[in-house]
Amino acid sequence: MIDKEEIFKQMREAIEAYDSEAAVKAARDAIDSGIDPLEAVEKGFAKPIRELGEAFDRMEIFLPQLMLGSDAMKAGMEVLEEAIKSKGGEIKNKGIVVIGTVEGDIHDIGKTVVGALLQANGYQVHDLGVEVPAARFIEAAGVHRADIIAMSALLSTTMLHQRDTIELLKNKGLRDKYFVIIGGAPVTPQWADEIGADGYARGAFEAVMFLDGNRGRWAG
Amino acid sequence: MNFKEMARRAESGPMMEAKDFLIKKVASNVMQLTGKYDIRWDGKTLVNLDDDLADRCWQAGRELLLSSGIYSMNSRRVIELEADEVDNALRFAPSWLVLGQGKDQVTIYHRNVEDRRLPFVFGGPFNADVSENMFVKLNEAFAQERIIDSLLFPGYLKQLDGQIIRPTSGLASRAAVLYGQWSREAVRRAGRPGMPITGHAVMGLNEIACTNEEWGLRSTDPRAMVLISELQVDDVTLTRLAYYIAYGCPIYIAFTPLIGGYGGGPEGTAIVAVASFIASVMLGGEIVHIGPQHIKFKQQTNQHSLFLASLVNQAVARNSHIIATTSHTTSARPGSEQYPYEFTALVLSCVTGGSNITGPRPAEPLGFNNVSPLMARLFAEVAHAGASMTREEAAPVVEKLYQRYKDNIDLEKTPRGKPFEELYDLESLQPDPEHRALYERVKEELKGLGIPM
Ligand code: B12
Repeated sequence: MIDKEEIFKQMREAIEAYDSEAAVKAARDAIDSGIDPLEAVEKGFAKPIRELGEAFDRMEIFLPQLMLGSDAMKAGMEVLEEAIKSKGGEIKNKGIVVIGTVEGDIHDIGKTVVGALLQANGYQVHDLGVEVPAARFIEAAGVHRADIIAMSALLSTTMLHQRDTIELLKNKGLRDKYFVIIGGAPVTPQWADEIGADGYARGAFEAVMFLDGNRGRWAG
Repeated sequence: MNFKEMARRAESGPMMEAKDFLIKKVASNVMQLTGKYDIRWDGKTLVNLDDDLADRCWQAGRELLLSSGIYSMNSRRVIELEADEVDNALRFAPSWLVLGQGKDQVTIYHRNVEDRRLPFVFGGPFNADVSENMFVKLNEAFAQERIIDSLLFPGYLKQLDGQIIRPTSGLASRAAVLYGQWSREAVRRAGRPGMPITGHAVMGLNEIACTNEEWGLRSTDPRAMVLISELQVDDVTLTRLAYYIAYGCPIYIAFTPLIGGYGGGPEGTAIVAVASFIASVMLGGEIVHIGPQHIKFKQQTNQHSLFLASLVNQAVARNSHIIATTSHTTSARPGSEQYPYEFTALVLSCVTGGSNITGPRPAEPLGFNNVSPLMARLFAEVAHAGASMTREEAAPVVEKLYQRYKDNIDLEKTPRGKPFEELYDLESLQPDPEHRALYERVKEELKGLGIPM
């Protein structure tokens, strides 16, 4: 008789210790013991990662812990996903996101926080880094079969590249394929409207809430 | 150690991904050093009074730089440093510099903790969005404040010829040229043709185009470069450094450690800040500007930032002769009463800690020209008065001011303030009666709190 609770506990502890290897091992143990992977996701990983996000908001933990914790979950989830796929099933992540800071702009912290928190909340996130040209957003979105393109701009001048990326999407006939959200200190809801983005969020929590509230607006 | 060697190591050091540098080197070394040197914040102190803590913080920061190095973002290589290289660079760093030209020359120097000599004041638009038609007037209004020693970052040109400026475009280079011409024109109009102009507001490499001995920024004007938090440098900064060092400009390097970021809380970020001070010197910085940021508050007058600024400045003042200055970023905007309360709290903790001062500015300016030269005057007056205070005298005043504004620092709720055009008479370039009355009233109150204005 396997001890399910013990394995769930190990999964939780792996996230709390920001330990990717332990998360992978605990996820394997779960599969090997015949635990339903979906139950493992819910009881093993979901709760600690939610708590991590909340602790970050209260400034009890900081950026490295948030990033490492969400990386640990990502590593463990890959194991569970494989198991589900091999049974012909599918884990529904909430959506695939490519995120980056636009061309000419090196401010990386805001988009890193947003990316880590989205990942912690069940989105599959591909971080393209900083100074990402319009064409690369679009190329990467194709490669990763993304649902959502998320662009950060911290300068009132580089905001222009958010507009240009959307224009390029239109020119390529790809605008309807992606849900586009934008953010960064100078970005406003008005600017999002003006350039035809699908949404805007002021901070990382708002970004999660906004996307959660708009599921169904991309194919997923 | 010179720039040549730093540039060489940026091309030849060990290769590493940025994320690994930030997490496996910086973040993990900080965690270890916080324990080793017992760097702790009690959760309430705003002005540090503990000299031993300041000295331990210096040691921890020096060790962080030695164990992490500086990351060259574009080449993805780590510039590694040896202890004797660091100690030599600190030994030969200047402890004073002459800025500007002719009779408008001014000297900036390293200050000690509770140094009674007046701090140097960098004052100006500080990168606020400034509109084309207001650029010269607004900077003239700053330059005519004699108490300001150097005009600071004369403004961010977002638009030109009715077009938003795309960085790296031809329009951006044209903006850089005009930036130089208009800044020079402004100090000339104010009757201070040789006043030092500390510049960097136009982005990236195009910025170099504002340099010209006759009409632009000169070899006697400090030129500002920015490190990327934490302990990173990019090609644009290295390129500008190479040029300005060769051109002979005083090198002003700024860095912005993020509280709540890779360094963790205020304690860990203080260690990162000391390491960044030294990294700035290694890269050729002669005036080093600390502008700590906060992941949640995005300004510098919250309790974490007040404590960090006071601790780190003391660490640097006591253990080196680096010429240091601190930026002042508030929540409230010019035209509000809260704006001077906020900057006064930070000024007192920095000036008694040995820093010179840079600022002030609101974290989120509203639209164009959200600046007040009159408030820059008050900022400088507070700093001059603060030079005759001890840390023990400053601490309760900082605490009182903090209590007054602390519930109002959320950027969405903080006072909106007014643009320059509504605070000043644009013909005479004098503050309007209402703004002047605000200045008089707040100044009286600050005196009442025990600041010897
Ligand atoms: C730290 C900082 C830097 C660091 C960046 C370090 C790094 N590793 O990222 C350094 C020193 C390198 C830097 C450089 C410059 N900076 Co800077 N910088 C800042 C600062 C102080 C804080 C930014 C930050 O990290 N905040 C913390 C994070 C958590 O907040 P955030 O970025 O806003 O992100 C949150 C939200 O905006 C949102 N969000 C962000 N992205 C996205 C994306 C999506 C899709 C969504 C939904 C949401 C979202 O969620 C995030 C989490 O809550 C801001 C001031 C400010 N108040 O914003 C100036 C600021 C952005 N910088 C400014 C300037 C001018 C510059 C320089 C041009 C200076 C210069 N002349 O060299 C250079 C630009 C170089 C370049 N080419 O990009 C100005 C911009 C002014 C303007 N008019 O646009 C600002 C506003 C400062 C000021 N008031 O003058 N900077």
